[in-house]
Amino acid sequence: MDYRCEVVGDRFIVSISGVLTFDDHERFRQVIGEIAECAPAMVELSLASTKMVDSAGIGMLLLANDKAVRGGKTLRLSGVTGHVAKVIELSKIDQLIPVD
Amino acid sequence: MSASQSSGNSIADDDAAILVVDDLRSSRLLIGAVLNSAGFANLHFASDGVEAVALLETTPIDMVVLDIVMPQMDGFEVCRQARERLSLDIPILIQTGLQDADQRATAFDAGASDIVSKPLHPHELVSRVRLHLERRRMIDSLQTYQRRMEDELQAAESMQISLLKSDDQVAAIAEPRGAGLTTFYQASNQLGGDLWQVFEIDETRFGLFIVDLSGHGVAAAINAFRVHMLAEAMDRNREHPGKWLAFLNDHLCQILPVEHFATAFYGVVDIASGRISYAAAGAPTPIILEAAGGWSTLDGGGLILGCREGIAYDTYSADLVVGDHVLLYSDALYENFETPGESLEPQDMAVLAREVLDAAAGAEFHRALVNRVFADETAQRRDDLTLVLLEVKGHV
Repeated sequence: MDYRCEVVGDRFIVSISGVLTFDDHERFRQVIGEIAECAPAMVELSLASTKMVDSAGIGMLLLANDKAVRGGKTLRLSGVTGHVAKVIELSKIDQLIPVD
Repeated sequence: MSASQSSGNSIADDDAAILVVDDLRSSRLLIGAVLNSAGFANLHFASDGVEAVALLETTPIDMVVLDIVMPQMDGFEVCRQARERLSLDIPILIQTGLQDADQRATAFDAGASDIVSKPLHPHELVSRVRLHLERRRMIDSLQTYQRRMEDELQAAESMQISLLKSDDQVAAIAEPRGAGLTTFYQASNQLGGDLWQVFEIDETRFGLFIVDLSGHGVAAAINAFRVHMLAEAMDRNREHPGKWLAFLNDHLCQILPVEHFATAFYGVVDIASGRISYAAAGAPTPIILEAAGGWSTLDGGGLILGCREGIAYDTYSADLVVGDHVLLYSDALYENFETPGESLEPQDMAVLAREVLDAAAGAEFHRALVNRVFADETAQRRDDLTLVLLEVKGHV
């Protein structure tokens, strides 16, 4: 996976591209760091360019959400399509993290 | 030889066995004296290549300091023999007066680790010997560690497999209740978190539980052990899939960290009444291969387990008739992370499973399906693969 951060208006947007799997643990730690340190209280994790996500990847999304909420921020997922949309649909994690 | 003995700059005695090979007695004495004064006491000497190779064949040597130009067998040949015939990976330090770059390259091609030029500079010789021994010890220590980890993971995998009921135990529960039940489990290249269980409920019903802990590796495996213990102990409400899963969820919420969770399917099979009642939490949707030839899925389910306490799980049900087969599977069956576009959809799996089922029944089914889905069925998978096939046989 790769990621890119930008501030758009009052939102901090992190775009994740490629596949988000067990092997991305270290790299995703950086994403969590960026979310913890960003100024905006609204964080959007854009998964529009994320091709696939495995269970460890879902775990990372849950962790990012947890860190954001603990830091007084809100986190939303956006742009879910294809395999990622199916995994979210099956796991029902939209009950834990808002999905646009 | 132990890694902890590596000495850095100290001049404490080093017990590394060093073989000094040189046809000139004066050179052997000089190198021996230099090494000895640097703390190397376990020195061996050979005056030509033949003698050196003979010694390497019989004596454990940690490092060789080797001359090139010698009668009978030269240093190049000693290198080749050590590497190719004796398969030694100890450091070989060539000491040579040859300045020609081609010849130095030949030494490396023959298997030399490093070259020092003659006339020898004592300090350089000692530094290089220390450097190569240190490097060798680090590699040895890493290899030892890796072997130990591999052994431990192997032991853990065996323990994990031993949690699963045997074919006979499964048959003893399923057959008297009018069902055929066969299973397949293949661990990934690391430990994994897949688990299935079968519970007797009463004279006509049994419970079928399949769970996949998130991630893989040691953490997932330990969590699988915890789920196994919990599920075995939770004998209340086994006939109520939704309640049972809700209870399991509440327990898992207390023990799993934020980023860990489980997906699960729990079904109560009641062949006498012709139905399966079930609850699911993010598990891959089971497929019914109908006796009449069509297929359907056991849809419905709730939030993955271990994330939020107090969640209710709905109980669904589906009719089963004699000749139906229900296929439960973990996500490794259809997810293709190398080529995401080639991941299988439920309809693909239904078609494949039907084809395989027509050709291979019972326990043969699983191996045949794996062969059909994966190009190389022996390749190490990135995730555990679990398959459970339930056949509705009718009451006996």
